[in-house]
Amino acid sequence: MEKQEFLKNLQEVLEVEQTLTVETNLKDLDEWDSMTAMLLIGYVSDEFGVTLTGDNIGEISTVQSVIDFIGESKFS
Amino acid sequence: MLEVESKKNILVTGATSGIGKGLVISLLQDPENIVYGIGRDEEKISGLLDKQNFKFIAYDLTDINSIENMFRDKFENVKFDGFVHCAGMEETIPITLYSPEKVLQIFQINVFSAIELLRLLSKKKYSENNASFVLLSSVMGELGQAGKVGYCASKAALLGVVKSLALELAKREIRVNAVSPGIVNTPLTSQLFQQLDAKNVDRIKDMHPMGIGKVDDVADLLCFLLSEKARWITGQNLKIDGGYSVQ
Repeated sequence: MEKQEFLKNLQEVLEVEQTLTVETNLKDLDEWDSMTAMLLIGYVSDEFGVTLTGDNIGEISTVQSVIDFIGESKFS
Repeated sequence: MLEVESKKNILVTGATSGIGKGLVISLLQDPENIVYGIGRDEEKISGLLDKQNFKFIAYDLTDINSIENMFRDKFENVKFDGFVHCAGMEETIPITLYSPEKVLQIFQINVFSAIELLRLLSKKKYSENNASFVLLSSVMGELGQAGKVGYCASKAALLGVVKSLALELAKREIRVNAVSPGIVNTPLTSQLFQQLDAKNVDRIKDMHPMGIGKVDDVADLLCFLLSEKARWITGQNLKIDGGYSVQ
């Protein structure tokens, strides 16, 4: 998947108002809470077949850090 | 002849893991029980396959339309005295990520397979009078939790099945009940806890005043409901949750 497409999808799934970039820190978003984390886990699992654990969510900060967990090779 | 008559045929789904497997192990301790276990993965139960009173049927219950053929094939001349539906799946999906296919999938294994099995088991050729049928629901059948629309709805659906079928089968003195556990230490729970951070895991554990349960806690209740000692209990939902649901 193209990173741009990922950013667009993520913004839609997480229903955030701000335009996401790879540098956006997800936890700084007004919308970030346990439900947003659940949405992120669900979306990443559906789209990439990667299961983010609770510990992973604890470590995540920027969108790039999510990409790192999924694996850079899955993006073009 | 007398010995043959005292044998009890008991069907358990979800027999290869968690509560289903624990129940099979409990039931096999009584040589009078002949236990038929349905599951997908024979390897997970390999230690039990050599037991004389255990028969394993490898079958994927999502293939609902072939359950009747499986009964014809495997249970010719078998009349069941007990049935426990432990097969089920759990998932956490926020509603905006649901799709009709995903809803169907969880209902297929948790509810529709149970109804199809009960349809067949309700026939005289597959069940004894006085039989006992038990469906494994969950405290989530009555309570809610974020991200569990499919799971909660499917477990609640089983409670409706139990109440209706208890009335339908009362004439044959067949009892139909649900057992609703809180969090029990099973592979499914480990999987769930992996998705949560340590703080949330502790929070869930703290919600159970007597701590989280053991498989045997639930297996013992299931054995009781299968027994004659529960002969006047039908159409009920028995919660077993270490106090979780009374707070």
